[in-house]
Amino acid sequence: MKKKIFILLILLFISIILGLVSGSVAIPFTKLLLKENQPILILRALRVLTALIAGSGLAVSGIVLQAILRNSLAEPYLLGTSSGAGLGAVIAIIIGISGIYLPLAAFIGAVASIIIVYTLAKQNHKLSEQSLILSGVIVSVALSAIIVFLVSISGNEALHGLTWWLWGSLQVYNLKLLALITLIVSLGIAMIYFFSQDMNAISIGEEEALHLGIDVESVKKILILITSLITASLVCICGVIGFVGLMIPHMMRLVVGPNHKVLIPVTCIAAAIFMVLCDVISRTIFPPLEIPIGVITAILGAPTFIVLLKRSQRAK
Amino acid sequence: MEALLKINNLSGGYHEKTIINDISLEIQSGDFTGIIGPNGSGKTTLLRLASRILKPKKGNIVFQGKDIASMRSKEFSKRVAFVQQDTLINFSFSVFEIVLLGRIPHLGRLDFETKEDIEIANSALRMTDTAKLKDKNINELSAGERQRVIIAKALAQEPVLLFLDEPTSHLDIAHQIQALDLLRKLNRANKLTIVMVLHDLNLASEYCNRVILFNEGRIFKEGTPHEVLTYQNIEAVYKTVVVVNNNPINSKPYVILVPKEK
Amino acid sequence: MKKILTIFAIVWIAGINACLAAPNSRYISLAPSATEILFALGLDEEIVGVSSYCNYPQGIRNKESVGNFSNPNIEKIISLKPDYIFCTGLEQAPVVTELKTLKLNVYVSDPSNIKELFDSIREIGKITDRTHQAESLIKGMQEEIAETTNKIKSVPLDKRQKVFVEIWHDPLTTAGKGSFIDEVVSLSGGINIAHNTRRPYSIFSAEGVIKQNPDAIIILYMDKTNSYKLIKERLGWESVSAVKNNRVYNDINPDILLRPGPRVVTGIKEVQKRLYP
Repeated sequence: MKKKIFILLILLFISIILGLVSGSVAIPFTKLLLKENQPILILRALRVLTALIAGSGLAVSGIVLQAILRNSLAEPYLLGTSSGAGLGAVIAIIIGISGIYLPLAAFIGAVASIIIVYTLAKQNHKLSEQSLILSGVIVSVALSAIIVFLVSISGNEALHGLTWWLWGSLQVYNLKLLALITLIVSLGIAMIYFFSQDMNAISIGEEEALHLGIDVESVKKILILITSLITASLVCICGVIGFVGLMIPHMMRLVVGPNHKVLIPVTCIAAAIFMVLCDVISRTIFPPLEIPIGVITAILGAPTFIVLLKRSQRAK
Repeated sequence: MEALLKINNLSGGYHEKTIINDISLEIQSGDFTGIIGPNGSGKTTLLRLASRILKPKKGNIVFQGKDIASMRSKEFSKRVAFVQQDTLINFSFSVFEIVLLGRIPHLGRLDFETKEDIEIANSALRMTDTAKLKDKNINELSAGERQRVIIAKALAQEPVLLFLDEPTSHLDIAHQIQALDLLRKLNRANKLTIVMVLHDLNLASEYCNRVILFNEGRIFKEGTPHEVLTYQNIEAVYKTVVVVNNNPINSKPYVILVPKEK
Repeated sequence: MKKILTIFAIVWIAGINACLAAPNSRYISLAPSATEILFALGLDEEIVGVSSYCNYPQGIRNKESVGNFSNPNIEKIISLKPDYIFCTGLEQAPVVTELKTLKLNVYVSDPSNIKELFDSIREIGKITDRTHQAESLIKGMQEEIAETTNKIKSVPLDKRQKVFVEIWHDPLTTAGKGSFIDEVVSLSGGINIAHNTRRPYSIFSAEGVIKQNPDAIIILYMDKTNSYKLIKERLGWESVSAVKNNRVYNDINPDILLRPGPRVVTGIKEVQKRLYP
């Protein structure tokens, strides 16, 4: 186990270096630290940082939802955050808001949709998995429909906003915003790790967890709150980046098993590596063009997962 | 001697429905109690109230002298364990990992399992004869093996009181005997108090030293198997014709079902 | 007397010609660019319906709207009994197919450069029987463009201004060769740093912008806040020449740069004014 973590950390280090070294503009490694190349280096460092927090944040959120809902198809955007953020962003664009208020609008949209989902799903002070999933799906579909409608009646600008929302973007310019989101996501992940034991118990059954002394309803509420915050924060700066939150947890479960005390840190590192590498590819495949990150995560992720799945099936 | 578990005038149920009404009973330390009764009579509801899954509407439950409603979650789980009817697990935990989860009540959130915890888990595996399944995936086991593993997990909690809800309903006869023999062994050797809901009247007769017959949310009769398992009691509650004989092997009551159609 | 009769005759014949030439022709335009061309050809009464996006010239406001750009109301279109409907390509393709199935006359124009724009104007002129006006419009545009290009002819290639056209900020979108705006930039004397990308519209990397170091940045989206401030606050962009010298422009009406229509000559002039003040 320790060996596996060590290998992952080495890979992470390599990916970060790769992220700083590659880009649409070819700069030899030796010249990277020159003053004239500093702006580009800064841009790349920002991207790598965004990739790190987006990857780990989304993957850990995926783990939590999969554990709480005991459903392997759960992913971070299940509770409506993606559509809410998209709607907030598109409305803001149509009204003409920009600058810092655009991510703020997306954040508000994400939070609003989570509140709607939560309220719909609550029955008698309890949150059942089925009602959460159902409400999440209904709200997502409804909000997505509104987004498409709004885009169809407005101009081209809303359409560009839609691209951002659909496929994501790791380019964040506002350092203060990035720092804030990094803080939120890091704290969130730490708090989720604190509940590893509870998640282990809940993932074998809610009543089982109750019998083991876990305060299931409170833990569920807290965890949903934390993952919602993480996801909403990430969506408002990065748009929707699919696949990572669904597949990386599965992949890591195949490698290290379902014990959350190990799964969570390992998944963080693995997702970070994955995201940084996807970002490198998106920037270097057709320079100076960039392929949206969501496209790369989808194209790369699916075959990787299939390979891992086949390997584990053969091992049985 | 103070009873291990005292249930006082307990009423409870789900939402608006009250399933059990004004139940009072005592479980002594070392008892192997069987709760029987028709479907819907409140057996499982009682168990869920006693294990803190449900909150009582009226009355209270006292365990080792303390009201269970006032206990902290892990405090209760350190001493009371529960074995559900067969549960399906969505994630591929290994058998050992599942049994180790039984140590959770004794561990803080940030604690890692100690050597002692691991030894307790291993001992639970040995007791349930599942040690050789240790590294297998829980989802690969047969129903019988899975049931024993769940019992091992409950044992890893090191409980003094064990609740079981129909532990043998999915098992074939060999595994039924195997599981109940294990429980009997634990009850006698480890002084584990057992409260078990079950359908099979004859198994209750064989293994339990006390039987509680439930009917329509109340206790119809409680006592030794001889006292409770009479044809009058059974016919009154189950509304079906039975003949009760003496089991030649253990001299306990033996219930024979009498069909209407011959 | 002879004079009066001659005048009378001329007016009478002209009147008849006018009536014969345009006996209640009815045109609907679903694209703002086509609307501008129709107006430039002198049509006004004949335009019986426009899309809700058509906003130039002012007189358009009084025209009947047939719905928005991508989903015009087919029933409304039919009820207006048009002789010809003018659309653009890509986005309106499904609409075009539907209209054609209903046996309506549809003209699709999707010019990606000036030459194609002129061909388009010529064809529209033919359809609306305004060939004369079309030719003079084209001629006028050609002269204006030549005049504009002449102004910077003397500027040597290495002194030409490099431009980055920012169509959208997140993701960073620009226009390359094959897009209308790319040609506008070259005609104005500028060099589009995205010219060599293989696609007319694409997501560009921020690194690329910094490396290419454009002298000017033209923003094509409406921005309520000061555009310069927005771009200046981007980490890593301070070193870009356009940012350093405060040459970030968001005051050109995007319509005149993005719409393949008669106002494109104004567009070229406006770009040139900012590139070579």
